[in-house]
Amino acid sequence: MKPPLAPILEARAVAKSFGAVQALRDVSFAVAPGEVRGICGENGAGKSTLIKILTGVHQSDRGTIVIDGAERRIEGPLHAQALGIAFVSQELSIAPHLSVEDNIWLGHRDVPLLHRRRALRQRAREVLELVGLRHLAVDVRASTLSLGERQLLEIARMLVRNARVLILDEPTATLSDREIAQVFATLRRLKQQGRTIIFITHRLAEIFEICDSVTVLRNGYEVGSYATSEVDRTGLIEAMLGRPLEQMYPQAPSTAGGPALVVRDLHIPGSVRSLSFVVPQGCIACLVGQIGSGATEAVRALAGLVYTARGEASVGGRPLRFGSVPKALARNVRFVSEERAAEGVFLNLSVRENLLATQLDTLGAGGWMSRQRLTAAAGRLAGMVGIDGRRLRSRTRELSGGNQQKVAVGRSVTSHGTGVLLMNEPTRGVDVGARAEIYVLMRRLCNQGYAILMTSADIEEVVGMSDIVVTMYRGAKVAEYAGDAIDRTRVLSDIIQQQTAMAGTA
Amino acid sequence: MEIARERGAGAAATGPRSEWIVRIGTGFPIRFAGLSILLVLAVITPGFTAAPSLLSLINTGSLIGCVAVGMTFITLSGNIMSFSLGATTGVAAIVCAALSGFGAVPALASAIAVAIVVSAAQGFIIGYFRANPIIVSIAALALIHGAAEFATGSKTIYAAENVLDFLKAKVGGIPLAGLVFLASVVVGQVIQSYTQFGQRVMMVGSNLRAAIAAGVQTWRTVTAVYALAGLFAGLAGILIAGRYGAGTMEYGEGYDYSAIAGVLVGGTAIAGGEGSVSRSFFGVVVIASVTVMLLLRGFETEYQYLFIGLIVLAAVLLQGRLRA
Amino acid sequence: MKFLRQLLGNATQRVFALFFILSAAFVALALPAGLPLNWETAFSVLQNFSTLGPVALGLGLTMLVREFDISFAGMFGLGGCVAVLVGATSPALGIAAAVAVGLLGGAAQGVFMTRLRLSSVAVTLGGLLTFGGIAYVLTGNRNVPLGNLELAMSMNAPILEVFSIRSLVAWALFIVAAVVVGYTRTGRDMIATGSDVQASVLAGVRTEAIIIGVFGASGTLSALAGAMLSYSLSTASPAGLSDVSVPAVAAVILGGASLSGGTGRPLGIAAGVLVLCLLRTGLTTVGVPPYVHELVTGAILLAFAIGDGADLMRRLTDVERFRSFRLRAPGPRSS
Repeated sequence: MKPPLAPILEARAVAKSFGAVQALRDVSFAVAPGEVRGICGENGAGKSTLIKILTGVHQSDRGTIVIDGAERRIEGPLHAQALGIAFVSQELSIAPHLSVEDNIWLGHRDVPLLHRRRALRQRAREVLELVGLRHLAVDVRASTLSLGERQLLEIARMLVRNARVLILDEPTATLSDREIAQVFATLRRLKQQGRTIIFITHRLAEIFEICDSVTVLRNGYEVGSYATSEVDRTGLIEAMLGRPLEQMYPQAPSTAGGPALVVRDLHIPGSVRSLSFVVPQGCIACLVGQIGSGATEAVRALAGLVYTARGEASVGGRPLRFGSVPKALARNVRFVSEERAAEGVFLNLSVRENLLATQLDTLGAGGWMSRQRLTAAAGRLAGMVGIDGRRLRSRTRELSGGNQQKVAVGRSVTSHGTGVLLMNEPTRGVDVGARAEIYVLMRRLCNQGYAILMTSADIEEVVGMSDIVVTMYRGAKVAEYAGDAIDRTRVLSDIIQQQTAMAGTA
Repeated sequence: MEIARERGAGAAATGPRSEWIVRIGTGFPIRFAGLSILLVLAVITPGFTAAPSLLSLINTGSLIGCVAVGMTFITLSGNIMSFSLGATTGVAAIVCAALSGFGAVPALASAIAVAIVVSAAQGFIIGYFRANPIIVSIAALALIHGAAEFATGSKTIYAAENVLDFLKAKVGGIPLAGLVFLASVVVGQVIQSYTQFGQRVMMVGSNLRAAIAAGVQTWRTVTAVYALAGLFAGLAGILIAGRYGAGTMEYGEGYDYSAIAGVLVGGTAIAGGEGSVSRSFFGVVVIASVTVMLLLRGFETEYQYLFIGLIVLAAVLLQGRLRA
Repeated sequence: MKFLRQLLGNATQRVFALFFILSAAFVALALPAGLPLNWETAFSVLQNFSTLGPVALGLGLTMLVREFDISFAGMFGLGGCVAVLVGATSPALGIAAAVAVGLLGGAAQGVFMTRLRLSSVAVTLGGLLTFGGIAYVLTGNRNVPLGNLELAMSMNAPILEVFSIRSLVAWALFIVAAVVVGYTRTGRDMIATGSDVQASVLAGVRTEAIIIGVFGASGTLSALAGAMLSYSLSTASPAGLSDVSVPAVAAVILGGASLSGGTGRPLGIAAGVLVLCLLRTGLTTVGVPPYVHELVTGAILLAFAIGDGADLMRRLTDVERFRSFRLRAPGPRSS
């Protein structure tokens, strides 16, 4: 029996809200030195908020942080580092033009002005060895490193700062199996040294492989913390999903028509391998997979946005060429982007201009644009998607996330009434009320004859909305489910680990 | 935060009066105050309202103004500015003067055609390869100067006698140049507000990625934007050739800077997607008025340069301030 | 060897190779034609270098941190005017004044762009026009003679056949910059900032201070180049005594800098400047009219702009796809 160690880092009843959204409600947890703690929960469960409070990015509204038994206020990320808490975010902070050694010491406060010192180099070699990158020369450029190596380099950087607690946010999401093994081997070595690791992941298998214990969050609440020896996969999934499916998803009518979208052998270098599926008219199909599964990219390719895509696709029997948005639009394939601000809407332009962005040619002949028709057509679309007609002249920037998303969807509704609607993350950053409206809208479009292909990281949404689910893992299709065969547990286990994958072909 | 902001905007949108205020935008009070001060200063400047100063105002402003109309489209499309529009103006003046022997119509037509082609070629490179607009226009500046030097041997090209004189005519007491400028503004604003192309320009400038995702063939739009800028620069070149009865590259120098000054002072956002041709009109009027006023008040030309520089700097910083 | 590699980097080696090839080509062309080939040719290349070099270096440093300083031409003219106006009695004081103006003007622009989150092109466009305006006002819109011919002579006196004080200063600046960028923490942070500003902030780099400092340095270098040129010609002009804008941009791009940041080392830029100066001198010596030089410079810039274009690869694939489509088209194919 190990004697119970005093916790090195403790959160006591921390709470945080953003505006009206309560992101974290009285969450408490404690980690001991040498412990590897997993944190899991669905999107929006509060994982990233908790981490940001622990690393000083956000300040909690209530509750306290205790380090080594002493209550501390963490002023910011640099202060957290000074206290021995290091964070490796999903967006890596590696400067590609710098050498490995320079990246390790980048931003460290004790580096002298003339920084090429033998001692620093020696220390860099030591931490590289510790993270399993002994083979790397310290003066090689970081841009030549693989993603996994960069992840390890990021950990190495935290080690030269003497981090005692390392917080890793989905470090394996974009890595290959071999690289994941490398990261895990490193984490085990660090654990042996008595360092504490907090590990956020969606992949449950990884929790059982590497973690001593796991904390489950849901809706901002702490569901509980368990030793991994005391809980099994099913139990963990139940804890994550918890409550029964909410009644926010409209009833799916069984009006599947003929094939609207047929995709055969879609291939995107570096992200998707020979993906095939069919979406019937009037149905919502969903490609589900983690970051790096290729689901998002596949949908983008169908929208004409990936010029390297190869393969065959047809819409209503007519061939669809990849790599050209106008060609996709000509087949009535419309796209709602996962990055609303960066790609989805024109924030500087008015709502009506946004609503008609893809159908300017309907607003007048010979290149002219009638302002009257613009207003009339926009009014009609706004009515269809439930946007207040008085908001038509407002700048889109002034709308809430939910209303912006309605604008993005509204743009995709055409007068023809049928087509294929591609939606990546249809409700990302959308509050609950507007979510329900968007769901109703999606169903209504289906009833009109649209076929919808979507992706979502929210399993509940996937199960609640889809008529067909195609699960993906690292670029390839795992299985396909339809109707009643769509089951949360199966979908989840498909996308987070490979071994049970092939069994589940529907 | 987001929700609170939306409530505020929603409340503002309820009454017609408040909606008006929302639409005018946050920059309006500053612009209004600036124009008022300028107007007062102009009226109390002795001799400002006299015919010669107003004529000089129109002459100074019109040439810059034509280039500024074209530059506005470049700025709106998110390509910041072109450093080669002044050179394009010079080339147009040279072509116009050189071909004036064949008659006015061929001379004017070829001058404008050359200006359009020179500018559109840059637009194609910028749009098709997504090359950096600043570097491309600087490269074009060198190429245009080199080509012009090759063709003219750095000599001033004089127009055939009297052929281009009609460009100096006055219609109802207003110089033709002024009318061309006004017409350019009207045409430019109509293109911006009432054509699908104008809408695409705003989309490309507001958010290039969103424009691509919405099916805009951005390279076509960008090429057309530069072609249009070439057209308006060509008009300015013709007017210059008419005014001096000659063409040389020197005549075009500095027009790009003056034009972008007008665009920025007018309040078109340097980041693109926001602003208008008519704003640039006011910007040019402001700059031309300041120039004339400084002259009338006995300041030498050098103070014009300084004031224009300061106004542009202030306009840029103000944009940052309003956004922050 | 390793020392050299550290100092040069890959792009730099390439530009130096280009320079040596050009030099060899020039010699090979000039010798059989019986053209004058002596130390004076090299001297003239280096004199050009001393004017263009520091300006290009300043611009290159701003591009290294992924910004773009277009105010350099204005500061170049202003530096010359300030030096001549202040330095009538004491040349050292004139240089000091020019440097101070450059440093303050440049740093002020850096402060504006970091505080107000404005693009560097926008702010430095305002700076370009303002600095030019100040130069015009200071000089009263005319060329100002310095009237110190001794100073001009000493500025241009050959040292070791090919150098002069000016070109030695220019080289010294390049070497200092190369050491700062290659060997100091500050240089490392500059590369990091240009490489990925977000990542640098996350890692704890004070990117705003870096940007302000780099713009201060850029202003200083341009002003100093202007001041030295004014001293050597014994006159100042508010418009600038030499048109540096196009060749400076070309030299920097040629020297390996890219608008996507993080690349371009001082010695690479030095080589880029040398290539352009050699081209100019070479073309003149061979008897090619001056416009050819402009055309060549413009063509180089344009080629690099296209090569740096975000959609270049995509457009090349378009061509390839079109070809393969044409090849496949006649075959039997069912959809």
